[in-house]
Amino acid sequence: MWKKRSYDDSERLEYLQTLVTEFQDTDSEEAKEQVLANLANFAYDPKNIEHLKELQVTDLFLDMLTEENENFVEFGLGGLCNLSMDPECQDIILQSSGISLVTNCLSSQREETVLSAITTLMNLISPSSRSEITNAAMVQCMLRFSLSESPRLRNLAAVFLQDCCTEEEVAQFKQQMQGQQTAVGIPLPKD
Amino acid sequence: MAAPVGSSSGCWSAPEVYRHHEQRRVCISRPKYREGRKAKAVKVYTINLESRYVMIQGVPAIGVMSELIQLCALYGVVEEYRPLDEYPAEEFTEVYLVKFQKLTSARAAKRYMDEKSFYGGVLHVCYVPEYETVEDTRLKLQDRKRYVVRTVQNKAREEEKRRILKEDTVSADLATTSETIITRPDTEKPETSNIGHYYGFPLLPLPPQESPYNPHRGMPKEDKMGTLYTAVTETNPQPISGSSQPSSDRDRSTRQKVNSEQSAAVRFVPRTTQLENRKRKMEEDVEHLSADPQSNNEPLIGPKLPEPPKIDMEDESLNTTMNMIRNTMKKVESVSCPKPLEKKVKPRRRI
Repeated sequence: MWKKRSYDDSERLEYLQTLVTEFQDTDSEEAKEQVLANLANFAYDPKNIEHLKELQVTDLFLDMLTEENENFVEFGLGGLCNLSMDPECQDIILQSSGISLVTNCLSSQREETVLSAITTLMNLISPSSRSEITNAAMVQCMLRFSLSESPRLRNLAAVFLQDCCTEEEVAQFKQQMQGQQTAVGIPLPKD
Repeated sequence: MAAPVGSSSGCWSAPEVYRHHEQRRVCISRPKYREGRKAKAVKVYTINLESRYVMIQGVPAIGVMSELIQLCALYGVVEEYRPLDEYPAEEFTEVYLVKFQKLTSARAAKRYMDEKSFYGGVLHVCYVPEYETVEDTRLKLQDRKRYVVRTVQNKAREEEKRRILKEDTVSADLATTSETIITRPDTEKPETSNIGHYYGFPLLPLPPQESPYNPHRGMPKEDKMGTLYTAVTETNPQPISGSSQPSSDRDRSTRQKVNSEQSAAVRFVPRTTQLENRKRKMEEDVEHLSADPQSNNEPLIGPKLPEPPKIDMEDESLNTTMNMIRNTMKKVESVSCPKPLEKKVKPRRRI
């Protein structure tokens, strides 16, 4: 039983390796999208996280965040959202200056991308990274999201504000926002 | 197209159509090695997209709501459900919103009901996280995170132990057995199994987890035919059923005993087999009962009739077949005899 399982395990690593190799070798945009989606979905199962770390898929996902292709961004960030549940992956993402990369995705036009970004950022909060994530701009962005017409975005932003920030912070930044009237800047996602 | 339409989104407004409700086009350009068992679209699932709320489209409008909910209930407790009358539906179909108690149930329901035919329609099942409350969303994220952390830790622990065992250069076979014994308690998570609101995110009921039921017994070894048959009967010689049966029935119950032992060890018996076993058992009981009235005055101890000598075929499966034939023969005899007797007796009494 055990033998079989570890065999499956190494087989899985091999398969993931094949995917990563194809992603790097292929010139086809379509194939890249498919493989990226595959990898991001594999990241959902915690059993694969160890392998994905080994194959440095975390960096692969991070690289996608600056791509032109919106699908690349969405899938890459989806993968990061899945991986960032794991504490070790959080460290890797933090070390590769993931916060700013993910934060930039908050202005995406795609709701799925924005949602992944918020969840990833919440996952990335640690004692050392907290100040970088719950700064004024971010809280104000979440305040705006919490007024969004999309219930998913509204809910997630509410969770961010309630769980990741103190009430004083929120109140303070809210006041600042009202004073400055700078609700422009980040466009709301379209879908 | 997918953007929310109305500006007010109270509970009375029409449900909105979002992009994630759409059925994406299946991807057909995948190379062989990336092709799954099922054709699927290129889509990434995250916890944000999953939800214990699912929407079921394509339900034929022929009044089959209760049937639909019964089907849903196969996958877990349904907390709430209602038709989404305002949701744009295809002609002659209805759309339903179903709220499961657990996310895992919703996942199973989506997996097994999506694209399945149902009273002549084809269902489309999708998650509808927009129906979640803030609290739902929070719990969903918390449970997910907890699950991932726990699974990763368990896996790391198992890996660590395996490494240590390998270093100790224990023979491979020993390592596998002791390994399972040591690590199994870790992989089981009894403390949260029922409490967690959205407990667990296992993608499948994992085959390896079937083994930990009897950690003290060790793993049954396969014989050359790849069955667990002999190994199991050897390790557990006590009869499970039939311990209170008279000695003459002992032999007869061996077949039954073997069956129940098998099921105890392998832990998976198809339902039909279980039903058959149960039926057989009941039939045997009936047999005993039908034999009893004839010997009303006799004490029930000891053999009633000398049974025909049994030939040992020196093969368990052959013996089993023999027993079955013998039992069937007995049943035929015992059923055909007493009934005509009673019929003859009754009219006499009346007259």
